Parts: sequence; structure tokens; C-alpha cells
Amino acid sequence: MSGLRDNWRIILLVVLALGSTVTLLVPGATVATGDNATAQTDGANASAAGITNLQYGIQLDGGSRIRAPIVGITAENVGIQPVGQGDSTNETRAIEDELVSQLGVDPVDVNARAPNEPNADGTVEVYTENVTQAELAAALQEQGYDVSESDVRDGVTRATRDEMVEVIDEKLSQSALSGGSVQSAQSATGQNFVVIEAPGRDIDELRSIVASRGIVRVYGGYAADNGTFVRQQIVSREDIDGIGNARKVDGRQGYQVSVTIREDAVDQFLDGVRATGLDEPNTARGAISCEYNAENPNQSSGKCLIASLNNEVVTAKGVSPGLVQLFADGSFANDPTFVIETNTREEARNIELSLKAGQPLPAPLDFQNAQTTSLEPALADQFKTNSLITGIIAVLAVSIAVYLRYGDPRVAVPMIVTALSEVLLLLGFVSAIQFPLDLSHIAGFIAVIGTGVDDLIIIADEILQREGVATGRVFQNRFRKAFWVIGAAAATTIIAMSPLTVLGLGDLTGFAIITIVGVLIGVLITRPAYGDILRRLVLDEEERSE
Amino acid sequence: MNAFEVPEVDYDQYTNRQLAAVPLAVLALAILILVGWSLFVSGSVAAPGAPVSPGIDFTGGSELTVVTSMSKAEIGDEFDTEPISVQQAAENAEAETVGPNENQYIVRFQSFDTQSLRDQAQSTDMELLSSSSTSATFGGDNQTTAVVGVLIAFAGMSAIVFALFRSFVPSIAVVVSAFSDIVIPLAAMNVLGIELSLGTVAALLMLIGYSVDSDILLNNHILRRSGSFYESVHRAMETGVTMTLTSLSAMAVMAVVASFFNIQLMASIGTVLVIGLAADLMNTYMLNLSLLRWYKFEGVNR
Repeated sequence: MSGLRDNWRIILLVVLALGSTVTLLVPGATVATGDNATAQTDGANASAAGITNLQYGIQLDGGSRIRAPIVGITAENVGIQPVGQGDSTNETRAIEDELVSQLGVDPVDVNARAPNEPNADGTVEVYTENVTQAELAAALQEQGYDVSESDVRDGVTRATRDEMVEVIDEKLSQSALSGGSVQSAQSATGQNFVVIEAPGRDIDELRSIVASRGIVRVYGGYAADNGTFVRQQIVSREDIDGIGNARKVDGRQGYQVSVTIREDAVDQFLDGVRATGLDEPNTARGAISCEYNAENPNQSSGKCLIASLNNEVVTAKGVSPGLVQLFADGSFANDPTFVIETNTREEARNIELSLKAGQPLPAPLDFQNAQTTSLEPALADQFKTNSLITGIIAVLAVSIAVYLRYGDPRVAVPMIVTALSEVLLLLGFVSAIQFPLDLSHIAGFIAVIGTGVDDLIIIADEILQREGVATGRVFQNRFRKAFWVIGAAAATTIIAMSPLTVLGLGDLTGFAIITIVGVLIGVLITRPAYGDILRRLVLDEEERSE
Repeated sequence: MNAFEVPEVDYDQYTNRQLAAVPLAVLALAILILVGWSLFVSGSVAAPGAPVSPGIDFTGGSELTVVTSMSKAEIGDEFDTEPISVQQAAENAEAETVGPNENQYIVRFQSFDTQSLRDQAQSTDMELLSSSSTSATFGGDNQTTAVVGVLIAFAGMSAIVFALFRSFVPSIAVVVSAFSDIVIPLAAMNVLGIELSLGTVAALLMLIGYSVDSDILLNNHILRRSGSFYESVHRAMETGVTMTLTSLSAMAVMAVVASFFNIQLMASIGTVLVIGLAADLMNTYMLNLSLLRWYKFEGVNR
């Protein structure tokens, strides 16, 4: 008997099963590819994966997930000159400046974009809940743009969403939340949202990182002649080159973050310092003293170096004699570094993270309309163990049912082993691509075992019917007949599940992917192999009876 | 040698009408329950509501898992907003060794402000194990997506079935059976008080797959094989009933074990599938079969 050719299906199954076992159990044997893999690898290392290479998601490993839309409205079809034509940069800046005064919003909350192609139109976005679509349309009309209220829609542009993902990703990697990941997604109704995951972390921790826009500004403040306290911005994020780590101030209470001004922004910075008088000491020992009144800033006296985070003043302090001297004689430019002092470590850390994220979040996240999930690792462990037990008991139930039906262990045992090998292959597959497993995927595994055993029963009944599988041709014929039903059923399942893989239904997406991959593995690899196993069985029997 | 044999049913005794009447009556009853639910329970005649009760996945709301020595009523009192439900994870004491902690509770709220709910829980002596929240807009979106997903899946399944059999009656027989397989568990969910969740939607989609398996098998045996009608039916039943019963036993076990362990997603999937597979047995071997017999003996000659 030319064993190899006749049994290639069985051999393929055995090889793949061994391969899956290796990927599953041998440390470092996985080939991490794809987005999931790169996003999740750190998480695995952090959670010091158990005896397998399997990745677990939030529900089975603990952690937090936030799905939140982005706050903002967008005016489309705004006739801004395309990039590269005329002076589109100045035009967009003019629109933004005008909107800031028209709508009374913060400059970071407006964004005009010129189109990248000729003959296209630009967009204007406003990232706050306080401006209605009608107000934005009216403001743009006032500026002479032909924009009607129907051109203004909820949501932000794709470019902004991409920036959001980029900035959040940077924030997560700067923070201690290893393994965090972020991506943008769309629901079936066209609602765009951002999905942020942090394995093994508390939701409050995750929220505190992404809820903050991270807008850091440094002002010089002084009491003006008219009795008000004037605040003038002297540093924004673009002017900063290097950021130190938040640390305790030596010998005193308080924390600090050191900030280095970019070389070509130093002159501008020093202009700001002089304009706010921070180069002229107001105490006898050559320092600048500051009495900042947080409740009522206009009651403040002296001169202050003020730092704000998300438009809230974090710290307002005087300036030491040494630094005043450096400001005064301009030698600050030789080593353009100063420190922002705060009262608490958390404030210093927030400023550090916000600055290190490179740029502030373009728009706030809408937590009012968010979906959140958070699981303590203890509960996740409980789910992990219990769903494993549930799965094993379900497999036992199937085995008993199959054994009762066929009575013959030579039919039933290979059937159960084949069904289990299907699960093994699927596990090998998910660990190879580092797909994070969640509860819904376990349901997918159960669906796969279920349809798998169904199909094996079809094969068994077809091949074992009556006698005489002696010739290869009869076997081939019967196998093909059985396969028609199996193929048809598999095609229907795949068609039925495929919409779920693209609709942003969260949990159901993974369920559908597992089911489809499982059905494919079954139809292409394991179920044909079972046919071969049965043929050997039947042939042996006939040889013996002859 | 077999411990269970699929009994040979004497279909000759019954007319096609008699055979089809039972599943059609059950289907009608199920539709009646769904319509009645929409008109009188979830909505009114003037403003019909949803035919099933959507859970917090679809309406928006929060769910906390807490461990506490307080009683159910005491837990409810600790929160500013009245919870929709407080459910004990494991009612029986033996569960302590294997299952979830006896003092573990699942508390659900209509409010989706998890932050304040978490704060309230943590300010008492409750240990917070998990929290999840879905805003009303997200829930609404989920609902639309789920309905669209099920409709697309159903349409895709119908298209494939028509492409496979290329004749109207056998194809429509499969489609009607599958439709009934979904509608009956939906109605049963109302009766049993199971809410529609993402898990039950997954179960309904799995049902499309399972339901079609046995129907395709039956059609294939009757239409594409040699042998008499009743021989074909018997052979198809031997295989098909085994298949469905095997799946049914697995799902029944899963439903029981998962509800014991309080893994709600798996428990609801299991329960819906048990009902759906039982409905599938009836629909395949009464409804689908009667349509095929009519087609084979009368329809083809027309």
C-alpha cells in the first residue's frame, strides 16, 4: 500500500496538530504578525502568560476598555484654497482666529483644513460641545463662506481621528500602561469611535490618562496698571525641545519637571519674558515674588510664572534670583532650560506625560456616550477557569452522545479526537497570530466543536452505510457525497457570519472570526482526514473477514 | 449494538397538511407572542415597542460585579440610583469550592455613569470585581447593527440555499425552517425572561448555521440520491437527528454549567441554542419534510 499517497490527509492533520502544539506550548514559537500581534505583544509579556502562548483579552485576563466617540462637529464643503495654491495656510489660520473670537472658544478647539487636491473643498472642525451646528454655519457665513447648516455634521474628519489615535497611542506608551492599544472603529450606523484597551489595568487609571487633553501652556503674569492681572502666553508645546522626568524638588516640598526651549524659539521666549517683566526682580534679593490668587486671579499681586494644564492653572510661582539674572542678561539662551514646579507628584507627572505625548489630543473624548468595560484580574481568572471547565464538560457530553449512537469506539474515538484536533489547530492558529482570546471566542470554539462533530457524523454515516467500501472508487464517491453536504453547510455558516466580522459589534466580531476560521480548518483539513481514518478502519475489517 | 437508534417514523400515516400544521401552529404562536409583546408589554397598540426585551447591551446601562457580605436589599440601598436588578452569582453553598464566591453579586443599572457608580460601590465595603457600561447611543447603535447583522446573515444564507438547490420549493422549505428556528427561540426568550444581549444575538446567528445543516442534509438525501422517498428520509433522519441531538446535549450542558458558574454570555448562548435546536428538529422533520414530500409527489408534476 502506498501509504504516503493514500493517507496524506491524515499525515497533514498530524503534522499541523504537532505544529499547533509547538506554537501553543513552546515559548517564543509564535510568529507575531498583523496589527493585533504588535498591539498585544507587550500585554502578554506584562501578564507573564501561563503555560501556553495564548493571548487573552480583557474578559479573560482582566483590564479595561473604553469605546468613546470624539467630541466635535465638522463643516464640509468650505471653499478654502487647496494646499499649494495661493496662501491656504494663512487662509486657514484666519478662519481659525476669526472663529475663536466669533464663537468664544479656545484656539485648540477650532481646526480649519485646506483640501489636499485642487477642486476639492476644505473642512472646518470645532471640538467642543458648546457650539451648535447652526452656530458654526452662521459664523462661517459671516466670514463669507458659502456654508449652509446642512453642510455641518456631527463628528470629526478622518484626519483628526487618525491624529487622535496617534496621540493616544503615544500617551499610552509614555505612561506606565504597558500593552495598551488604541484604534479607531466605525459602527454599522456610521458612528465613528476610538477603542482604547489597557490589559490588567483599572478603568480609573486608563480614564485619567486619556480624559486629559494634555494642553500645557506657560504664561507670564503681572498686575497691570488698570488693576487687572494680565496673563500672556510665553511657551506652547511647539517651543519645547526636551522634557525631563517628574521628580521631587531637592531639599524642599514639591515636584518639578524640567523643560528645555527649542533653540530657534529662545528669542521669542525671551521676548515674552521681557514683555511680562519676568526679567526685572521685585524683591530685594533679586528674585520675583508671586502672590497668585487661584479663586480670583485679578486679586493676584506680584509677577508669576504660570503653567496651565487643559486651561486650568496648575502652578503659579515666582522666579529665583539666578533665573531672573539669566533672563535679564539674555544668557538663558546658552542653556535654555527652566523647571515647572508643582505641589503634587500627580500634577508634575501629568504635565510630563502631556508634554511627552508630543501634541495635545486634537479633540476631547465623549465619555458621556462611551462604552466601558473593566474587569479585575481575579474575576477574569475565575472566567478563564470556569469557561475551560464548561468547555471540557461540553466536549464530554458530545463524546457520550456520539458513543451512545455508534456503540463502536473505533468510530467514536477517532471522531472525538478529530473534533478535538480541530480545536487544537484553531488554538494553534490564534496563538500563532497572537489573537487575544475573550469569552465570546470561547463561544466560537463551542460553535466549531458543534458543527465539527455534526459534519463528522455526516461523514461517518455516509461511509459506513451498508457494506462494500472495498474499492477506492466507492469510497471516493461516498466521500464526495458527504462532502457536498458539509461544504454547503460550511458555506452557509461562513456567509452568515461574515457580515459580523466587518460590523463594529465588539464582542461578536471575534466570535464570527473564530467560527469562520474554525469552519475553514474543519472543512479543509480535519474532516477530510477523518474520512481517511474511517476508510482504513473499514478496509481493515474487510481484509480480516476475507 | 447502538444504545440509541433513531426511530423510524411512519410518515405515511400523516398527510402533508397534518405534518405541516404543527410547526406552522407553533410558528404562528411564536409570532403572536412577539407581536403581543410589542403591542402590550414593551409598547402600546398606538406605539408598538420592541418584540423582545433588549438588555443593557442595547438600551444602555451599567453592570457591576461586587463581592460583599451585604444582602441583596442592602446592596440596592447603597446606591443613589435604584438598580434594575441585583443577582446573586451562586445561590447554593456548594458552589464555594469551585464556582464563584457565594457573596458575589451582579448589579445592573439603567444609568451609564459608571464612574459615579464605581465610586459609590468603593465607598462602601463592596469589593468591585468588574464594571461595564454602555451609553444609550452606543446601545442604539448596537441594536441597529445586530438587526442588520442578522438580516444580512439570513439573506446570505437564503441566497446560498437557492444557489445550491436551484428550485423554489426545496429552497424555500429550508429558508422557512430557518426562519422559524430563529423566531421560536425569540418568543421563548420573552416567556423565559431572557433579555436580548450580544450573546443571544450570537446564538441566533449560530442557529442559522445549525439549522441549515440538517435541512441541507435532508434535501440532499431526498433530491439527489437514489432510493425511495421514505428510505431517503430515514437515512437522512438517522444522520440528522444524531447531529442535532449531539449539539443539543452539548448546548444543554453548556447552559447548565455556565449558569452554575455565572458566565452569562455562555449561559444565554446555550439556552437559546437548546430551544432553537429543539425547534429545528420539529421544523426539519415536519415542516421541511412535508414541503419536500408535496414537491416530490405532486409539485414536480405540475
